[in-house]
Amino acid sequence: MQQLTAIVTGASEGLGKSFAIELAGRNMNLMLVALPASGLPELASFIRKNFAVTVYHLEIDLTHTESYTEIFAWLKEQRITAHLLINNAGLGNWSWFEDKNIAFYKMQIELNVITPVLLTRLFLAQADASVTSYILNVGSLGGLFLVPKKQVYGATKSFIRYFTKCLQLELYGSNVKLSLLSPGGINTKPELLVMNNTLKGISKATILEPEQVARIAIDGLLKGKKEIIPGAVNRFLVLLNSLLPAYIKDNIIKRRLNTILVS
Amino acid sequence: MKVLVTGATGFIGRQLTLALANAGHEVKALCRNTDHPYLIKHPNIEPVLGNILYKQSLARAMDSCEQVYHTAAMAKMWCRNTDDYHETNVTGTQNVLEVAKTCKVQKLVYTSTCGVWGPTIKHPMTETDPRITGFPIAYERTKYLAELEVQSFVKQGLPVVIVNPSRVYGEGPITDSNTVGKMVSGYLKGKWRIIPGNGEQVANYAFLDDVVAGHIAAMDKGITGERYILGGHDISFNDFFKTLQQVSGKQLSMIRIPLKAIEIYSRLEWLKTRLTGLSPVFLPEFAERLKYDQKYCSSKAVTHLGYTITPFVEGLQKTVNYLKESKNNVFEIKDRRNEDNESLLGDHKTNQLCSN
Repeated sequence: MQQLTAIVTGASEGLGKSFAIELAGRNMNLMLVALPASGLPELASFIRKNFAVTVYHLEIDLTHTESYTEIFAWLKEQRITAHLLINNAGLGNWSWFEDKNIAFYKMQIELNVITPVLLTRLFLAQADASVTSYILNVGSLGGLFLVPKKQVYGATKSFIRYFTKCLQLELYGSNVKLSLLSPGGINTKPELLVMNNTLKGISKATILEPEQVARIAIDGLLKGKKEIIPGAVNRFLVLLNSLLPAYIKDNIIKRRLNTILVS
Repeated sequence: MKVLVTGATGFIGRQLTLALANAGHEVKALCRNTDHPYLIKHPNIEPVLGNILYKQSLARAMDSCEQVYHTAAMAKMWCRNTDDYHETNVTGTQNVLEVAKTCKVQKLVYTSTCGVWGPTIKHPMTETDPRITGFPIAYERTKYLAELEVQSFVKQGLPVVIVNPSRVYGEGPITDSNTVGKMVSGYLKGKWRIIPGNGEQVANYAFLDDVVAGHIAAMDKGITGERYILGGHDISFNDFFKTLQQVSGKQLSMIRIPLKAIEIYSRLEWLKTRLTGLSPVFLPEFAERLKYDQKYCSSKAVTHLGYTITPFVEGLQKTVNYLKESKNNVFEIKDRRNEDNESLLGDHKTNQLCSN
């Protein structure tokens, strides 16, 4: 079988890094995109050394949308068709609305909303209709539940939810499979490693390791699942969400918030 | 020269104080208990009562010291209060760095671990390779966070070099973190008889004397902010026990336990610990680790520090001889904390199969 090529954004750290390693382990060539000075060349060379796949890497700031056409123009020049797009790059935070400046929110919305939309558009334009193409949009359970201190982040992920679900309808019957990944907490950045490990009980059980999430997500994507919610506890919470009255849900979220505030 | 060693009763720190004292340095040995049986008595070693969690005691200990080796850490596989890992490894390291900055210490060596890389895929990990999994093991997670602390102090101008030993074995007491020592002494007593899975899982074994010399070389020649893997040979469980059999002359029939069985057992242990608070024999995060190799490459230290690697057979022979000789002496005194680790598999925990 022909070796597939996957584009992974935000590939140098956290979940993106796990996607890169997971896809390499499934014998896929990679086009890794991440910010300069984030360790991307080291990751690319590690993957080349340890897996029999071709790895291209591109250090760019994805908030510069003008560079997107360059990515695809370059791929075309190399006669490479991308078969998978993992829209992973994103900017999270955990802060009261007043605590971040407008530049931060602008960047967050650009990276979480504009980037995946435009990349999806350009990816579909180059997709080979004769083989199946796959798009994975990384949303969040935060796009489903109301979480204080995640006001803008959660809203961008709600956008991704709508965008992905709607595009799934539009692309029904085509050779493109589109999945929404809705993870709970993931142990990625150092500050999350500290915070997540102070959690107890149910809240703790919602947290997964990045390599678990990546494995479950790629499994789901290749199977054509519409929405992928990693972790049994998270799936249970989503089920509860549709059954429980609002005040109990509020209570759960507030308790989680309290645990974190106390730590 | 006046040198402070934190964790002076630990497996590495203890041997380090001796090497430094023999080299003629005035060694201040920081320990929480100056009567500790593992503390080495030597005219050049001055025991200093202190705790890395108390900055005042650190300031007293570090006073007029030109160099600091920070080897103190919470390295055991499980503790009742999981916050202890963060306290000791991250906050403790922060304290040491802060006090070193105020005391104008000329250079520090921070003892990290190859556990900050953890599992490997095909080739041995080098210093620039990324970590490929998350950090479910508290020790590895907090040592990684401590490295980030070191890097932030390096940015502020503090001269710190990081060394990353792999799984250290050698002539020293069986402390909580001397996991290989536990395995070897268990084997010698005829109590350790298990090999996980097919026994082909590979880990890197570093000889204590090499690691100690590597620390001193890092102090002499290490570049601020750089990391140096201080490893040894990549050896599978099968080869480990084959060599152990060869050097000890003791032949035990080993039992291979399927990884799936270990995984199920680890989940039961986890549940037991959750329900009863008793210490676990084995935990799921360690069972998961048994699926991976842990291979590390010491080339950078060899090239830049003149690090040397003792052949595994030679190192293991010395270790076996040491453990046989010290059977009835002071080093057999077990840590009281160790005593609640009595387990179904005898008195040796199995978590040491995966530690670095």
